[in-house]
Amino acid sequence: MKQASILCGASLTDLYRQWAGDYPKFFKMDTLSKLGFLLAEMLVHDEPERFTFREDRAVLVFSREGCVANDRNYARSMQDFPSPALFVYTLPNIVSGEISIRNKWGGESSAFVLESYDEAQIWEIVRQAFQDSRTKSAFVAWIDCPADENYVTNAWLVDKTDLF
Amino acid sequence: MENLIDELKLKVIDALNLDGMTAADIEDDAPLFGDAGLGLDSIDVLELIVLLEKNYGIRLASPAEGKEVFKSMAVMAAYVAGHRTK
Amino acid sequence: MTKVYCLGCGVVTPVGNTPAGVYEAVRKGKSAFRMYEGWPEPYYASLLERGDFEEASFFDHILLQASRAAVADAGIDITGPRVGLVLSSIKGNVEKIDSEDVSLAVSASRLARALGVMTAPIVVSNACISGLAALLQGIRMIRSGAYDHVLVAGAEVQSRFIVTGFQSLKALSLNPCTPFDAGRDGLNLGEAAAAMLLSSCPFEASSCHSERSEESLWELVDGAVRNDANHISGPSRMGEGSYNALRVVLDSVKPEELAFVNVHGTATRYNDQMEAIALNRAGMQEVPVNALKGTFGHTMGAAGILESIVSMQACDTGVVLPTKGFSTMGVEPAVSVSARERKTDKKAFVKLLSGFGGVNGALLFRKGGGR
Repeated sequence: MKQASILCGASLTDLYRQWAGDYPKFFKMDTLSKLGFLLAEMLVHDEPERFTFREDRAVLVFSREGCVANDRNYARSMQDFPSPALFVYTLPNIVSGEISIRNKWGGESSAFVLESYDEAQIWEIVRQAFQDSRTKSAFVAWIDCPADENYVTNAWLVDKTDLF
Repeated sequence: MENLIDELKLKVIDALNLDGMTAADIEDDAPLFGDAGLGLDSIDVLELIVLLEKNYGIRLASPAEGKEVFKSMAVMAAYVAGHRTK
Repeated sequence: MTKVYCLGCGVVTPVGNTPAGVYEAVRKGKSAFRMYEGWPEPYYASLLERGDFEEASFFDHILLQASRAAVADAGIDITGPRVGLVLSSIKGNVEKIDSEDVSLAVSASRLARALGVMTAPIVVSNACISGLAALLQGIRMIRSGAYDHVLVAGAEVQSRFIVTGFQSLKALSLNPCTPFDAGRDGLNLGEAAAAMLLSSCPFEASSCHSERSEESLWELVDGAVRNDANHISGPSRMGEGSYNALRVVLDSVKPEELAFVNVHGTATRYNDQMEAIALNRAGMQEVPVNALKGTFGHTMGAAGILESIVSMQACDTGVVLPTKGFSTMGVEPAVSVSARERKTDKKAFVKLLSGFGGVNGALLFRKGGGR
């Protein structure tokens, strides 16, 4: 099992240049998706056969606040000219989608909202996700982002054999 | 027209978060969509439709119409010059 | 593997507030669409009557109403330690963006308290497949052995936030939506709440007073969520994720055993075309297909649960419901969609959904006592 996190206050652009650098779509993402994207890069950057389509890896993203930071950005734009580019990020599971797209992971991708950061509950749900017979590993992340400048992250790359 | 093209380039770079790009990086006649150009996608088309309405009072009916207008910066500028209401 | 059954259902919709009533309304071709004033552009939608409702949150209210109906229908006590709660919604109380109430976690806690559920609730917010993903989460919780019953409840209310967003995507039709039709030009938004009480082995559990037989109950056999890994808002041209989700449920059923596939069928150009490709790739082009968005509109977080409940009702009476709004085949390759009611003697169906973020889900339902 591997673990990664991003401290609040870090420059996400610097991290992008350090860990990726070849994916300009990054700059179109909301903060939640940027965080998820970077956490995944940090965990899988040295994996062999990256960017080969695979269905055996799940992306499971947890938070309390979902995508509320970007929801506020969209709500502001809605007052005069609603922005489609902001609206498409007003879903808590766009981050898991962005990670799946970047890495060509065609397995399960899901977003869960919990009452609080509870590792026991997170790992219970992750273990349940392995009931999908094709799932062999998972990118798991707690990314709570109540505001663009205020977030907490913790991410893991876990194999089925680590848990069972 | 040159001024309008440069103005549009800056607005497009800003609206679409085209990181690290300057107006000089976008050729007037280069296609904006597809792999040969800026590689813009369907959401970018919609955002450009908002840009035209917000800045120039132009309302496009559909994304299909947008694809014609957004062929290149020069085509877009000509359209804006001919249709702007503000 | 532990079998998971649907023990009770509850619905709140503009065309009825009981599963049987809603099913009859669908069969008779009823709907509640009309044009509404927008911000400023008008929109055509199927909304619930707010009536003299004055409490804090209409969303929380309909969610609780559907949940209580499902629990009453199941006739069991859900206050024990082995009962879970899964909530499905996309935007919840988004109109309260400046208050704590906006969080789906707050709605889930409130619902758990109101129902007396003791375990920590889980919210599944997976765009338009949320309801289906929440049912799958409920199945998994029961199969994990830690839960006997799981209440899965979903709801969506419409708002300036959602309506202007879909308008900015040019995704809304100003006419009744026409799934799979050649002239389809977008979706209609809808409001609803729906809930299912899932249960394992209800005939042995001491907390269960159900007198129903296994044969009379619907089993939720298996399902999957798959990503297109293609684009956050445009469906895959090859229907990759939808096809891969279908492949998983086809491990447990043959296409010819299916009464129908109740598809997403939003009536946008791309969604319906994508589903047709996925169904054909999965060898399901002969299986009857229907979509219910012509009755309810797109009820987002409620859709997966509501459309499954109506599908169970239909299959119980040997009916493949028509696809309201469809008249001329508008997908290539074609699928077996019809504007007319058809008969079936088969006792299994698949619920299919797709959504933003590239997510797709498939879930297999089979009448109890099957293989």
